[in-house]
Amino acid sequence: MRECKIVSRKFDLEDAHTLKVSKANGGYRTLEKLKEYSPTDIIKIITDANLRGKGGGGAPAGPKWELMPQESEKPSFLAVNCDESEPGTFKDRQIISKDPHLLIEGILITCYAIKAKHAYIYIRGEYKQYQDILQSAIDEAYEAGLLDACDITIHRGAGAYICGEKSALLESMEGKRGHPRLKPKQKEPEWYFGNPTLVNNVETIASVPFIIQNGADAYKAYGTERSPGTLLFAMSGHIERPGVYEAEFGTSMMEYINVYGAGIKNGKKLKAVIPGGVSCGVLTAKEVENLTLDYEALRNVGSALGTGGMIVMDEDTCMVTALKNILEFYHEESCGQCTPCREGTGWVDKLVGKILDKRGTKEDIDKLLDIADTMNGKTVCVFAPAVSTVIVSFIKRFRDEFEGAL
Amino acid sequence: MSDMVEVIVDKRAYNAEKGSLLIDLLIKEKIKVPYFCYHEALGADGNCRMCMVEIEGQKRPQIACDTFIKEGMEIRSTGENIEKVRTDILELELINHPVDCPTCDQAGECSLQDFYMDYGLHDSKVTVTEKVKHDKHIDLGSNVMLDQERCVLCARCTRFTDKITHTHELGIIGRGDHARVATMPGRKLDNPYAMNVVDLCPVGALTSKDFRFSQRVWFLDTVESICHGCAKGCNIYIDHNKLKYQDDRIYRFRPRRNDAVNGFFICDEGRLSYKELQEDRQENILFNHKEIGEDEALETFQTLLETYVSDITVVIDANLFNEEIEAILEFSKEINAQVCAPLEIYRDEAFKDEMLKSANRAANAKMIENLNIDTQMPAQSGLLINFNHPAEFEADKQIDFRTHQQTQGAFILPIATYAESEGHIMNEDGMIQLCQKALFKNDPVPTVIEWLEKVRS
Amino acid sequence: MSFKFSDENLREIEALKKRYPSSKALTLPCLWMVEYQEGFISLDAIDEISKHTDTPPMEVYRVATFYTMFHLEPQKKVNVQVCKTLSCKLCGSDKILEHLKKKDVNIVHVECLGSCGTAPVMQIDDVNYENLTTQKVDEILKEIK
Repeated sequence: MRECKIVSRKFDLEDAHTLKVSKANGGYRTLEKLKEYSPTDIIKIITDANLRGKGGGGAPAGPKWELMPQESEKPSFLAVNCDESEPGTFKDRQIISKDPHLLIEGILITCYAIKAKHAYIYIRGEYKQYQDILQSAIDEAYEAGLLDACDITIHRGAGAYICGEKSALLESMEGKRGHPRLKPKQKEPEWYFGNPTLVNNVETIASVPFIIQNGADAYKAYGTERSPGTLLFAMSGHIERPGVYEAEFGTSMMEYINVYGAGIKNGKKLKAVIPGGVSCGVLTAKEVENLTLDYEALRNVGSALGTGGMIVMDEDTCMVTALKNILEFYHEESCGQCTPCREGTGWVDKLVGKILDKRGTKEDIDKLLDIADTMNGKTVCVFAPAVSTVIVSFIKRFRDEFEGAL
Repeated sequence: MSDMVEVIVDKRAYNAEKGSLLIDLLIKEKIKVPYFCYHEALGADGNCRMCMVEIEGQKRPQIACDTFIKEGMEIRSTGENIEKVRTDILELELINHPVDCPTCDQAGECSLQDFYMDYGLHDSKVTVTEKVKHDKHIDLGSNVMLDQERCVLCARCTRFTDKITHTHELGIIGRGDHARVATMPGRKLDNPYAMNVVDLCPVGALTSKDFRFSQRVWFLDTVESICHGCAKGCNIYIDHNKLKYQDDRIYRFRPRRNDAVNGFFICDEGRLSYKELQEDRQENILFNHKEIGEDEALETFQTLLETYVSDITVVIDANLFNEEIEAILEFSKEINAQVCAPLEIYRDEAFKDEMLKSANRAANAKMIENLNIDTQMPAQSGLLINFNHPAEFEADKQIDFRTHQQTQGAFILPIATYAESEGHIMNEDGMIQLCQKALFKNDPVPTVIEWLEKVRS
Repeated sequence: MSFKFSDENLREIEALKKRYPSSKALTLPCLWMVEYQEGFISLDAIDEISKHTDTPPMEVYRVATFYTMFHLEPQKKVNVQVCKTLSCKLCGSDKILEHLKKKDVNIVHVECLGSCGTAPVMQIDDVNYENLTTQKVDEILKEIK
C-alpha cells in the first residue's frame, strides 16, 4: 500500500491555506497549461483519465463535462458541491480548510473547460469555520488577480442533507426549498435559473489540477483499471486512529484499516463496516477481509463505495441500535416531496424502534423489507433507494440479531 | 401541425400526439390510473407517485405524468407487478391518514377512498401506534377549512395560489413527514377564487366552511347549469336534495369544466350565489300589500291591460332565459307594448378582473343585444310591466314579476328563479348554454312562461 | 415591530445581487443575514427579504421552515448542537448528552456535523468542539458563559 498525495499533498504544511504557502509549493502552476490546451482538450484529458465523481455516485466526470455547451447564448455555471452531510464523511472539509487554493485552482481549470464565468461553492451551513478559511483564500485569490476570468461565490446552506443532491442543490441556490427535480429523459446538463450548469463534488474538482499538470496516464497509474486515481477515504467509529487518509482505489480494506487506522479501538474485534457513508450497505467483518476499496468490488457484494467514509463497528455494537440511529437520520432529512420516501422513512424508523423496544414481531421484520422494496426505484431521487439499501443490508446480514430482539 | 403516433396501452393501440403527456392520454381514453398531484390546469408535479405504469424496455415503473409519448411505446397499467406498486404506495399514503371518514365532508367524493376501493382493499398492516399529528380544523379564511392531517401533500392548492391566482397564500412548510400545508402565521387565504382549492383538494384536507357538515354527498342530486353572477356564464353543477318532510334545497355550486368558457374554476362570489336563490323569495301574489288569489290577480291584470291599452311598457331583466325573453316579446307584440331591457345598471367595472369575472353582471345581456331590444331606460309610461328588472321606474301603474321580495310595489306576482325551471342563456362571447332545472319545490311558483299562458287564457 | 436590514447588510445585498443571475438566489443569504443580525427570523424580516429577492413572502417563509439552522422564534438560551448520528453515537455521544441535560442550555439534537473523525462533537455558535469528554464540556461551557 503506497502513499498517495494527489489531493492531500499540502495538507500537513503549516499555513497551507494561505496563497503564499500554496504558491511556494506548486499551487496554481497548472494555470500555465491553459495556454497550451483548449477547453475541449482539457475535457478530453479528464475523460481519458476516467476521473470519477467523488461525491458518492462515482459517475465519470468527463462525460458530465461534455454535456455542457461549448457555444451558448446563455451563461454557463459551475456549482461545487460542498454540502458534505453524509454521516461518516468529513473529507471535503479537509480540502477547504487545509488546501483551499487547490480547490480554487481546480475551479479555474474546470470553468475554463466548460466556458463558465462564475462558480458557486455550495457549502453546508454547519461548516462556517471552514467557510471562513475558504473565503479568505478566495479573497487572496481576488487580490492576486487570479479570478479575473472567473468569479467564485460561496453560497451557504442551512442544515439540509438533501441539498447535497445535485438538483436539490440547484433548487436551494435558486432560493427555493431543496426538493430534488424530476430527472430528464435525455442526457442534458443541469440547469440553474435555466442556464447550463455543471455540479461536481469538491474533491472531484480538487483532483483536476494534478490530472492536467501530469496527464491522464499519471492519474491512471494509481488505482484500478475501472476505478483509477485516489480518494480521500476516511475512518470513524471504533477505530484507533480515526481520520482522513488519501489512498488509491484497489487498496485492501483490511490493510487500510490496520495501517492507517491502527486497527480496532481498545483491541476489540471487528464486527461490521459501513464502507462509504451510511447510504451504503453494511458489510460483515468476514466480507471486509476479502474486499478492496474500489467501486466495482463493493458493488459486487451488494454494497457501494459511496464517499469512502468508513464507519467501523466493533464486536460489542448492537446492529439494531445502529440501524435505528441511521433511520432516524433519514427520517429527519427526507425532504417530504414524494409519498414513498416521506411516509416510508417515518414508518421504518418507528418499526425498528418497536423492535428495539422488544415489542417487535417477525412480521415487522418482513414488513421492513417490504417497505424497503416500495421505497426502491419509485421516487424522485435516490434518497429513498439508499434507505432501502441500508435496511436490506442490515437485515440480510444480521437477521439473527433482529430476531433476537423480538 | 401535431405529429400523431401510435402507442399501445394494455395491448390496445391508441393514437396520441408525439411528445404529449402519457397521463393525458390515459385520462382521455378513460384508462383507470390513480393520481393525486396531476391536474390539467396545474400541470404535473410528480410527487404522489400514484400514476406509475410499466413501460416496455424500462426496468423501473415510470410516472405517467412525466412520461412523454413516443412512437411505439408499450405501456402496461394493469398486471401483478404494477398493481402491487400501486397498492404499496397507497398503503404509505394511508399510514398517517386519520380515520376521519365518519365526520369528513369529503367522504363519497374522496380520491383516497376511491383508490382504496379500486386498488387497496387490504387490511392495515401498520403495527406502530404513533401517527404523525398536525393541526385540524384551521380556518384559513375565504370559507376554507384546512385539516393538515388529512393532507396528502399533492401541492395542488399551493400550485393554485402560485400559478393561477398569483396570490401566494398557501405553501408547504416544514420537511419530511412534518411537512404540511399552511399560510404564513396570522395571514389568511384571501383571493376571489380561493374556494376552488376545495374542489382541487383530492381529499378532505381543504373543505368548504359553507358546506361543512351540511349534507352527505351521496344524497345530493346533481344538475348542470350556468352561474348567473355575470355575463361570463361559468359552467356549474348544482347539488340539491330534498330531505324528508322538507323542501328541495340547493346545498352548493361546484365548477363544471368547460375549456371554452371558464376552464376548471369559478369565482367565490358566483359559487356562493346559490344562497340568494333560496333567500327572501317572493312566494305569494301581493296587491296593495295584501295577499290575493290567482284568479283575482289575473282579473286585475286584464283590467289594467285594458285600461292602459296603448300606453304599456314592458321591461325585461337581462338574467331571464332566452325562452322567457322570446315569450315576453311575443306577448308584448300581442298587447302592443313598448319593450326595453336597460343594461347600464348591470355594469360593475370594479367586479371585472383578468380571470373570469366580467364587468357585465347580467347573465343574458348578450341575448338582449342580439334581439335588438332597446337597452335604454324607458320614459314615463302609463302601465309598466316589469319582469324582474332591478331598476326603479316611473309609471302610473306598475306590475312587478319578481323572484325576490321587494319593499315597494303595488302589484307583485312571484316567478321562478333560473334554478326552478329550465332554459338557455347566452354568455358575453355569444355561446348559448343550457341551465337544467335544479329545484323541485313542494309548492313551485309559476315560471314567466306559465304566467303568460295564464294571462292569455 | 418592524425589521430593517443594517446598512452593512444592505450593502452586502447589493453586492450579492451582481453575483447571481436572479435576485431570487439571495433568499438563503438574506435569511442568514437576518439570523445573525437579530438572532432569529421574524415575519417582518421575511416580508423585508421578500422585497429584496423579488419573491413572495410565503415562498421565503416556506424556505425558512425547510432548513434546521434557522430560528423563527427568539432564542432564550445558548443552543448546543450535539451530533447524534452513527459515528458520534459509537464514540459515546449518549454520555455527552446525558451530561448536558444537567446544564442550563438548550440541547439541539442534530444529524452528522461532518466531524466523525473527532467524535463525539458539539457545535455552539458556528464553532465545533471535538473529541469531547464530560470534563471538556464543562470547561467549554464555562468559557462561553
